[in-house]
Amino acid sequence: MTAPLHPLTLWIWALLMAIGVVTLDNSWVALSVVGVAVLLFLLRGDGAPWNATFWWSIRIAIAIILVRITVGILIGVPIPGNTLFSIPRINLPGWMPGIRIGGDVTLERLSSSVHEGVIIATMIILFGAASALTSPHKLLRVLPVYIYEIGVTLVIATSVFPQLAQSLQRVRNAQKMRGIEKISLRTLAMPLLEQSLSRSLQLAESMESRGFGVSGKRSRYRPSPWRALDTGVVAIAVALCSVMVMQ
Amino acid sequence: MQCDGDAVIKFSNVSLIYPQSTKTILEDLSCEIQEGEMVLVMGETGSGKSSLLRLVNGLVPHHTGGILAGDIVVDGISTREVRPGSLAHLVGIVGQNPINGFVTDIVEEELAFGMESLNVPHDVMRKRIEEVLDLLGLNSVRDRNIATLSGGEQQRVAIGAALVMHPKILVLDEPTSALDPIAAEEVLSVLHRLVHDLSVTVIIAEHRLERVIQFVDRIIYIEGNGETSIGSAEEILARSSLVPPIIRLGRALNLPEIGTSVREVRRQTSHLRELGTSELPSASTIARNPNSDVAIEIKKVSLTYGENVALKDVTTSISQGEIVALMGRNGAGKSSLLEMIVGLKHPTQGSVHVFGADPLTLTASNRRKMIGYVPQEPSDLLYLQSVSQECQQSDTDNSLAPGTCFGFLERLVPNISANAHPNDLSEGQRLALVLSVVLSSRPQLLVLDEPTRGLDYQAKNLFMRALKEYAQELNNPVLLATHDVELVAELADRVIFIAEGEIVADANTLEVLLSSPAFAPQVAKVMSPKPWLTVDDVISAIGPKV
Repeated sequence: MTAPLHPLTLWIWALLMAIGVVTLDNSWVALSVVGVAVLLFLLRGDGAPWNATFWWSIRIAIAIILVRITVGILIGVPIPGNTLFSIPRINLPGWMPGIRIGGDVTLERLSSSVHEGVIIATMIILFGAASALTSPHKLLRVLPVYIYEIGVTLVIATSVFPQLAQSLQRVRNAQKMRGIEKISLRTLAMPLLEQSLSRSLQLAESMESRGFGVSGKRSRYRPSPWRALDTGVVAIAVALCSVMVMQ
Repeated sequence: MQCDGDAVIKFSNVSLIYPQSTKTILEDLSCEIQEGEMVLVMGETGSGKSSLLRLVNGLVPHHTGGILAGDIVVDGISTREVRPGSLAHLVGIVGQNPINGFVTDIVEEELAFGMESLNVPHDVMRKRIEEVLDLLGLNSVRDRNIATLSGGEQQRVAIGAALVMHPKILVLDEPTSALDPIAAEEVLSVLHRLVHDLSVTVIIAEHRLERVIQFVDRIIYIEGNGETSIGSAEEILARSSLVPPIIRLGRALNLPEIGTSVREVRRQTSHLRELGTSELPSASTIARNPNSDVAIEIKKVSLTYGENVALKDVTTSISQGEIVALMGRNGAGKSSLLEMIVGLKHPTQGSVHVFGADPLTLTASNRRKMIGYVPQEPSDLLYLQSVSQECQQSDTDNSLAPGTCFGFLERLVPNISANAHPNDLSEGQRLALVLSVVLSSRPQLLVLDEPTRGLDYQAKNLFMRALKEYAQELNNPVLLATHDVELVAELADRVIFIAEGEIVADANTLEVLLSSPAFAPQVAKVMSPKPWLTVDDVISAIGPKV
């Protein structure tokens, strides 16, 4: 299962799956797609530094579901149905009809919030898996030269995220050692931002001084070949996507 | 050599300033660099060495911005006219941290990247890559993932990636700063060969002058405030304030000629080696007699990551008031041992005790009072917007009178600006800030990981003074991992030498440094077989000679 895939394969797969999930709008299908993404990650993760991206995308996804549920319980459009429990209702002025804070929490209202949360979370996990399993270096190399400036921007963007995960661990350790009692976003953000910015600039600089984008054509030393496996993965994704869209 | 022949690089009246900065980086620099010359760029930290290097292929100002006056002509092309990429076949540039400049993940692909960009035909690429792999001794790692290579190998890959383009000029920014002495030697001998066999012009910036000085033909010395002077190594070093130990030795002994290599100075000092007694222990070993209270106790510690063994059966102890240096090649397990002592890693087997306690169980405030830790990237610790905020925070954390931390910092670096953002400080100033923050909690133990990377000699002296004060006045132990033999010679009482996760030597500094030629400091090489490690040792043993 570790035959190399073309760098674009998993991104295409993620994109098609995302389209399918959004169009079909079914949480059970979305959850099984997430299952496939996790399985794929477990099978193909090779211990590369950018693998950590996946676990972060899962954490972000869970946070999003929780936030959506909380918001769904507290605020929202009342949906009639089986009342599960009630929370005190705050009366809003008459010019805000249709919205209310508090009140009866119905099963329908809860399930619709969960559903929306799951769909968004699925998107994030899908692209998290694609970026965790594709070397950002290889991804860059398949980009056509004529989008040079965009290419550079993309490299910087794709390399920032995985490196951020790497730096985060280091900075946390260092701050723990400084004896900072509460390590928070505020204490982490500054050193992290500074480091990933300077790394990305160094990468861009190195590419520029090595002639990236100078010639209209690129020769290939070891081309990333498009194999039967890539065609297979994309074909399955296209098939699944069309089934979901047709439904 | 300077006047005739075609210059490969020609600086004409070059001045450089960055907007929003009042400091002039370069002012009116004019010089010519010939084919096959090796030129060293030296100066204090933050003086503009990197800017000068990056002027050569136009990264400054095309990539970084900045206002440039004058002109730089490289092999007939003005860098003003073209983007850096268009000079890729002429100028190869190797940055300070090669790992950050790698675009691909496999050695061979990395070597090919530049040629692919220039659309070099496949067969030419194959040929050049084979050549470079052989020239740099990289054949055995050609299919390896770059991240798994040692520091020295990574540096050679970066040099290789520049060389495959067959450049006339190779520019290197501190190529040996992160390397152990042996790996540094490998890299420098490769450069030496390029200059002599292939007539490549090499421009190199380096803080550790002792490593490069014997190889270079000329020096460009950036003196700060834009002033520069250019001349042979002897001319510049005769009057510069940044000098390697070998020159300080020559000055202290009033030698008639400036010698830049061990051989030259040995010839001039043969009569001195007969003076003094060789049994006399050198000054640094008798300076402190650490009392026997054990501070750190490490018993039969092993650490494994999956199948990799980082540490094997390590047993040692460190006493109060001792300064211990942890040495060894890149990846030998130094950082792992430090991280275990400060409580970041669990030992797989064995036990670590710091003042009788297990460092893993410490709470934040207890840890602050017990262990001061300066990580490899000191800026990891800093998170506020200015120097004064950082200092205030650490005063409140440790319930000290306001201004204590800043006062300490000002003693280390007198002209630091309180409103500066930590990122805008020079390497030396930033280390001083981190050290002040860490020391203001008066920890009972200080642990530092590679603290002197990127420091010039002056900053290093300040740093050594602070550490010695801390160890002597408070009778606390200091443990530092480092590649810098000159620092160890001046500072440490004891050296623990690690190879492949095992302790191979654990004895006083003199014994360990003299037993291995690769790890011997310059003064010891000059004065061998006398057991003198530093200029002070020599002077105190024989007295100043005229």
